[in-house]
Amino acid sequence: MNYQKNENKFNTKDLVTIGIFTALFFVFQLIGAFPLMMNPATMFFMPFGIALLCGPIILLLLAQVAKRGSLIIVGIVNSIIWFVTGMHWGMVIGYTLMGIIADFVAGIKDYKSIKLNILAYALFCLGPTGSFVVYFIDPSGWATTMLHNGTSMEIIKGLNEIAASWILPVILIGTLLIATISGIIGKKLLKKQFEKVGMIQ
Amino acid sequence: MKKDLKQSYGLDPRTKICLLFLCVFAALVAPSLKYEFCLVVMICLLGIYQRVTRYALISFLIYFLIYKTTAILVQINGNFQVALIAFLGLIHKVYPCGILSGIMISTTRVTEFITAMYKLHIPQKVVIPLAVMLRYLPTIKEDMGYIKDAMYLRDVSPSFLGFFKNPLFTAECIYVPLMMRALQTANELTVASITRGIENPVKRTSYIQLGFHIRDIFIVICFIVLTCLCFI
Repeated sequence: MNYQKNENKFNTKDLVTIGIFTALFFVFQLIGAFPLMMNPATMFFMPFGIALLCGPIILLLLAQVAKRGSLIIVGIVNSIIWFVTGMHWGMVIGYTLMGIIADFVAGIKDYKSIKLNILAYALFCLGPTGSFVVYFIDPSGWATTMLHNGTSMEIIKGLNEIAASWILPVILIGTLLIATISGIIGKKLLKKQFEKVGMIQ
Repeated sequence: MKKDLKQSYGLDPRTKICLLFLCVFAALVAPSLKYEFCLVVMICLLGIYQRVTRYALISFLIYFLIYKTTAILVQINGNFQVALIAFLGLIHKVYPCGILSGIMISTTRVTEFITAMYKLHIPQKVVIPLAVMLRYLPTIKEDMGYIKDAMYLRDVSPSFLGFFKNPLFTAECIYVPLMMRALQTANELTVASITRGIENPVKRTSYIQLGFHIRDIFIVICFIVLTCLCFI
């Protein structure tokens, strides 16, 4: 990464701000994801919880650190933490990848356009769906570890059939939708509370 | 130099990260439940070696229960099965890594981890936010306590009932002070860390001496052998 202009480089304040907001982001992820994660019936909707809670945090971060690469760093640091706490690798790779894409999207208008920032946040929220994408690509492969002994082919066939059905699109589109709603709420919150007192321009 | 007991059995953080990669890979390609059982046993032995015996034994017992119930649950038919199999699959893929990371976190100090990150030549742009984040996590909990107290004082209920009665307002009461605090702390921490020379371009030195020992190599070889076994 080469940064030509000096004001586009990260100074210490930006890095510290990113660190603190990643910590907040991580905590709200835990609050949003854990109740859904612990239940087989709602496990697939775990990204919804994350998408719902984290909007204001990422938007405020983008308003504070409007520099190329800030979302990439959030994605990478977040991935490292999830990896170290032993989460599934699909989510870890998902966060890094969506961090890069989201940063690109928000960077189109130099992180100034609130609409693009919300879109970037929504894309970023697709990160945790990574594990489920891995599952739906190859559900029988996911389950072979368990189904090795004495499982009928019917079950595997049934799994493959359902994989082609509606669950994955619902997860992806639902996450985007909920993230957008969260972003809009976040935008209002920022306007009402932070712009008035001059914390952000 | 005086070493405490934990440190003399401690592994290099880089070894632990390497083990975690191996473990994720092994859990990914695990051909059968029995193999995964061996993996968990191995990790628990490592935990006992690392002097977190109680944690290792408890996690082993929990895994044993999961292992036994999986065989029964997989036979259930119907729509619910998709979710159930995904859930169990995720547990089986994540649980060994979870135990290992639990051992890792309880035996590694944050400073060691950061030093290891520097030694792995991970750029400062990532290491500084990571260090700040790990330092700030306990502070969030503290701040949450203060915010809750303040909410009671102003007659806003931070409980679930209050949340359902007036979700947007309650959420605002939590988010705004937390984020305000975060912005303030960012300023303060920046000043503090610049004072301590975080912008110094010279290569950083560290109080903690990290290095690989024979035990690191031995354990990594054990795990590599175990990973290779699943291809046979």
